[in-house]
Amino acid sequence: MDAPLWVSGVVYGLSMGSIFFLLAAGLSFCFGLMRIISLDQLLYYSLGAYVAYQVNVATGLTWPAMLCGALAAGALSWVVERWVFDRIYAREITFTMITSFGILVAGVGAIKYVWGLVPRPMGIPVEAQVAVLGVNVPVYRILVIAITGAVYAVIQWLLNWTMVGTAIRAAVEDVDQVEGLGVDVYRLFTGTFVGAGMLSGLAGALHGPLVMVDPQMGLEVVPFVFMVVIIGGLGSLKGTLVSAFLVGQVVSLGSLVYAPLAQMAPFAAMLLILLWKPTGLYGSALLRR
Amino acid sequence: MALLELEDLHVYYGNIHALKGVSLRVEPREIVALLGANGAGKSTTLNTVSGLLRPRSGAVRLEGEDLTRVPPHNIVQRGVVQVPEGRRIFGQLTVLENLEMGAFTRADPHGVREDVDRVFALFPRLKERAGQVAGTLSGGEQQMLAIGRALMARPRVLLMDEPSMGLAPLLVEQIFDAIQEINRQGTTILLVEQNAYMALQIARRGYVLQTGRVVLEGPAEQLRENPEVKRAYLGG
Repeated sequence: MDAPLWVSGVVYGLSMGSIFFLLAAGLSFCFGLMRIISLDQLLYYSLGAYVAYQVNVATGLTWPAMLCGALAAGALSWVVERWVFDRIYAREITFTMITSFGILVAGVGAIKYVWGLVPRPMGIPVEAQVAVLGVNVPVYRILVIAITGAVYAVIQWLLNWTMVGTAIRAAVEDVDQVEGLGVDVYRLFTGTFVGAGMLSGLAGALHGPLVMVDPQMGLEVVPFVFMVVIIGGLGSLKGTLVSAFLVGQVVSLGSLVYAPLAQMAPFAAMLLILLWKPTGLYGSALLRR
Repeated sequence: MALLELEDLHVYYGNIHALKGVSLRVEPREIVALLGANGAGKSTTLNTVSGLLRPRSGAVRLEGEDLTRVPPHNIVQRGVVQVPEGRRIFGQLTVLENLEMGAFTRADPHGVREDVDRVFALFPRLKERAGQVAGTLSGGEQQMLAIGRALMARPRVLLMDEPSMGLAPLLVEQIFDAIQEINRQGTTILLVEQNAYMALQIARRGYVLQTGRVVLEGPAEQLRENPEVKRAYLGG
């Protein structure tokens, strides 16, 4: 196999990994803090893509359209948190998981009702290509990777250098004790959930120009996102980043070696990693609860 | 008027009647000991005061105001803070971050800074380890941190659940000295202890719980001399 294919494969893998990370980070925080499995994040992902598409069609703008997508996703996640999750946090994890799946399926139905079944193409903000090691790669993919890097840095800063971030880390360890110190943990929950929803929406909006925007897009990434969360280790942001890029590469490079591997290779990688480290790469003591 | 008053509290865990009409008072600036065997209802009483458990009937009053409908985080803001059994510090956070968590709801950074210094003056060991991750502290240091973290909320009433648990005798002495010092600085304390001997040395008054009821109450020196207390809790 020749070098150019590998270079574009790696860039493709990193940009896929970036989308996976934005989705998995929210999912991982929702589990770490509220102990819910929030499958409805995939709905916010689809909604982010569709709103970005719609604003793009209406105005011709691209980046602002993506911002609108992320904000719309955040707004919907806020409504769902207030209406639904706020009432069922105390229930069993399977209950919240099935509820979130119901929201996802209903939401996908609503998207089909509004936008139809036909996949829609979305405008790309930057059409230019740039030479990397003598190979032309799309600038937009590199920007997606850079934006994800910036998002990661901002989340790390929030977690480690602000009081709310400290409270979130403390609550991931022992939420009852954080409440016992006078913190209204339900406000932390709302903030985290909406943050996760916005990240999911951003993921969808950024992904839009790279794929067709279609009603099933959320359901299609479910296995990959779960793999990322599990390989990285629940509750570790760094683990989620590493594992997102890893899964991105396995999908991308695997398909270069042998096309059907794109679907199968990540599962094989996950199996091997879990055999070696059952709690995931950066899985920590946070799961003792 | 008593600073903290519990009146005829009935608390259930499902069908289990854990508190069967507990009444007690804590006057301003007192240390009051709450004694009893395992399962007598001591921790249940504290958790009901701090709002983690809700009584089926009865009242918890802070300066006459009922707390039984107030959410736990508001109870802390009104000045009732618990040092939980088993310390429950945040092991992945640094010592300083743990203290800052105790002051989460306060909006006076200057006062918070002062209170960090106050905690460090009380427990110099914590100052030495301020930047260290709390999970690496010894049991005694973790207890100091749990107390320090509670003090960061500037409590009027400090609820302490078994501060001596699992500690060597020398450390227990240190912790109890600190409790007395905190009390001298003006904080009222309701102290739950299995170590009745130590508790009755620093307390002014005490209550003895047995299977969810107060069976004895009185000044600490009187309880120390009581033959039943001696036999059951003081080893003869």
